[in-house]
Amino acid sequence: MPRINPVESPVTIEFEGEQLQARAGEPIAAALIARGELLFSRSAKYHRPRGPFCMSGGCGQCLMRVDGIPNVATCREPVTAGMRIERQNAMPDAGIDLLRANDFVFRDWFNHHEFMAGVPIAEELLLKIARQLSGLGLLPERPAEAREPAVIEHHERVIVGAGAAGLAAARHLTQHDVTYTLFERELHVGGRLISAAEPDQPTPWNAPARLGAEVVGLFNDAGQPFLAVIERGRLHLVFFKKVLLALGGHAMLPTFPNNDLPGVMSGRAVASLIRRHGVLAGQRVACVGEVTEARALADLVKRAGGEPLAIGEEVVRAHGLRAVTAVTTTQSGKVSCDVVATCGALSPAFELARSGSAEVTWNPEQRCFVVQADAHGQTANPAVFVAGEMRGPMASAAAAQQGDAAAAAWVVSR
Amino acid sequence: MSKSLVCTCEDVTASEVEHAISKGFCDIESVKRFTGFGTGICQGKQCLTAVARLLEQKSPTRPRPEQLAAFTPRPPLFPTEFSYWASASFDPAQAPSGGVPAALDFAEPALRPSAPIKAKAKVVIIGGGIMGLALAWNLAERGETDVVVLEKGYLCAGASGRNGGGIRAQWGTPTLITLARRSQELMKRFARDMGINVWFREGGYLFLAKSDEVVRRIEKSAALHNRHGVPTQIITPDAARDVVPQLTMKGVKAAAWNPKDAVIFPWPFLWGYAQQAQKRGVQVETFTNVQGFELSGGKVKKVITDRGDIACETVVLAAGAWSAEIARLAGVHLPNEPHRHEICSSEPLKPFLGPLVSVLDSGLYFSQSMRGEIVGGMGDPREPAGMNLSSTARFLTRYSQALTEQLPQAGEVKILRQWAGPYDVTPDNSPILGKTKGLENLLHMSGFVGHGFMMAPAVAERMAQWMTTGESDELFERFTLSRFAEGRLEREDMIIG
Repeated sequence: MPRINPVESPVTIEFEGEQLQARAGEPIAAALIARGELLFSRSAKYHRPRGPFCMSGGCGQCLMRVDGIPNVATCREPVTAGMRIERQNAMPDAGIDLLRANDFVFRDWFNHHEFMAGVPIAEELLLKIARQLSGLGLLPERPAEAREPAVIEHHERVIVGAGAAGLAAARHLTQHDVTYTLFERELHVGGRLISAAEPDQPTPWNAPARLGAEVVGLFNDAGQPFLAVIERGRLHLVFFKKVLLALGGHAMLPTFPNNDLPGVMSGRAVASLIRRHGVLAGQRVACVGEVTEARALADLVKRAGGEPLAIGEEVVRAHGLRAVTAVTTTQSGKVSCDVVATCGALSPAFELARSGSAEVTWNPEQRCFVVQADAHGQTANPAVFVAGEMRGPMASAAAAQQGDAAAAAWVVSR
Repeated sequence: MSKSLVCTCEDVTASEVEHAISKGFCDIESVKRFTGFGTGICQGKQCLTAVARLLEQKSPTRPRPEQLAAFTPRPPLFPTEFSYWASASFDPAQAPSGGVPAALDFAEPALRPSAPIKAKAKVVIIGGGIMGLALAWNLAERGETDVVVLEKGYLCAGASGRNGGGIRAQWGTPTLITLARRSQELMKRFARDMGINVWFREGGYLFLAKSDEVVRRIEKSAALHNRHGVPTQIITPDAARDVVPQLTMKGVKAAAWNPKDAVIFPWPFLWGYAQQAQKRGVQVETFTNVQGFELSGGKVKKVITDRGDIACETVVLAAGAWSAEIARLAGVHLPNEPHRHEICSSEPLKPFLGPLVSVLDSGLYFSQSMRGEIVGGMGDPREPAGMNLSSTARFLTRYSQALTEQLPQAGEVKILRQWAGPYDVTPDNSPILGKTKGLENLLHMSGFVGHGFMMAPAVAERMAQWMTTGESDELFERFTLSRFAEGRLEREDMIIG
């Protein structure tokens, strides 16, 4: 089985009516993958099988109904004893979904703008069918319990993200006795330093941070910038004078046929499953894409007892009906595998910076959108700084340097 | 089938994006709207870069880096439950201001077409929203094809692309009831006329009334509706709960229910009108700004744009909430004022909500889109006049509190994105139509106070008829700009949102 280490004192959860054992606190998705389950959901229109891709809440492929709440990102939701987990959006169930017929009828894509447009009767029928097929998940069964009133906080300096860049900034500020508040949505600091496959990573500095605190917005009501942060089931509105955004990036889906099959996962997701959760996503792991990361991932896979293949190769297509069974690459042709791990740069997470009026431009060399900032990471908005992968793909050492440079500017202007 | 997916949330394939590019959608905001990519759970995190790369490779215009502008990220960064936003508080006495900037500028100069614009046209329509495009198509249908439509952004950039898609006949004056009913007819056959689906869904409108004053208002309107053939009924709170079982009826005294009202998907109306008008010879020029007018002898002679001047016989001002600022360039004062209206959309859910529900007392409204999202908003009585399309946390809090009070099961439903659009507000809540005194060939088609979308098909039909035949039509005599100076106001009080 793909657990690298046995689970001590497991808890029982219910998945599609079946009892299974999991480690309390691990993401639901990790528990299911450990059990060999890659098919999590069915897609919106074509009812194609889907499984976790990014393992970081940046895609919609692992959504399930959890304890009566629809569309829960199972890659982020921690396991608790007695939890009830169900697949959604399939008829009769996600294993054999008859609505997959859509996928075969509309071979390339479904032209929803023109299909049956203006055809009497057919048009009305289409409307009825489309409405019934729309949506993911059912309305929650129960009214929500009232939440504690939101907390208002005021801070001089805030850092968002305790990855390579955020930690370097925090360390620099600490060394110069400058106070700050660091928010990290995971329950550990480190970001990719503890989760990704990358050669020569330094050990992350264990900065004091507010863990499990997810920043969901940078607002500017009445011209007062503040962050909306969800922390332990409560909303915090965090007003700040200066913010350093170091959120990294989102896993990109490379374009090739069947790139959405369960088992096609981002390289970061496969690495983080091994390093953070002790789960090997499959035995035979094609580590495709960008070579440096692919090699580092292949090492990780090997050490976890798996079999890396097609290392750094270019994917032509993936094969499989319900999950990946093989991959074709330009170099090796068709080889059988359980997982296709796509290595390569992340798409910079520019959203919050843009909400804070930073400039976002297309970088024609890196072929992605990046946040514009000066040497200290200061953006068009003097209160908003950025560092690390938000400014473009870079190794963690370079990201740390940027975090350090931003903090140095804050020390000077203290 | 072995599809190559770009957006896995909404099942958008690479072929579909390429198809959109081949249809002339060359900027990311337009491709997003036409294909739906980036509008699902991940809000573009997984797919935006892939689409930009496809545009870079496949677009016939070979976009330069500055032409690849990322779409506006909409808060929140991750789907966040209504219950969280409802847990914050806001000061109802304070006017909202500021907010997350909508787009730094949706009339990106980089996207302005380099080709020169037509030097001469019979009719120039300013504003490529539903009003202007519907008028262009109606003119073309009547043989007038020498028409240029000027739009400063992409199609759908303005209020026509930002509204909730509600279509109702429940109005407070006979004129609006008649127009709304005609629009509904035209919208119902839009797919047949234009070859594009608009997902017209007759789910009804349910207005809830919580005060005696509002009860009297809906009773009065219902009597008027019935006289005009609209089957509005005044029903008890219990009967209203039969329509939507999940609703609480706390404080509700009565409800107005018309099962024939509807919701539509707004964007295809713009593409449909634009494409069919273009087929008949109309020029639709996006990313083109009007910078002034050349006037002489009580007439507009030329419209000055950032792509050259257009000599014309008639100018129609159909720029919605931007109309007043453009009229000013011709020395004409319009009393219209833009008012921001914020709106948001939830994660998609399986169908559970038939009608559009609105609480008239608070301005709360919400419906379920054809994709399953709860789409809704709530006007802010303290909203100051002025063009502001930014998004606030205050709105999320006000709306979430009101929504979860009426629909408690929505508490754990997550908000996917929020945005704002401008209402084009006039002093009497009625539109401005017809000629300008002293500038005979400048025609108005604005001031629809947030309901222009549902009126446009009927208004444009009558306007084109009036323009091409010269037949008199009371619409263009009663609702003129001069009524404000003459003190002939036309009050409408069934405004929501």
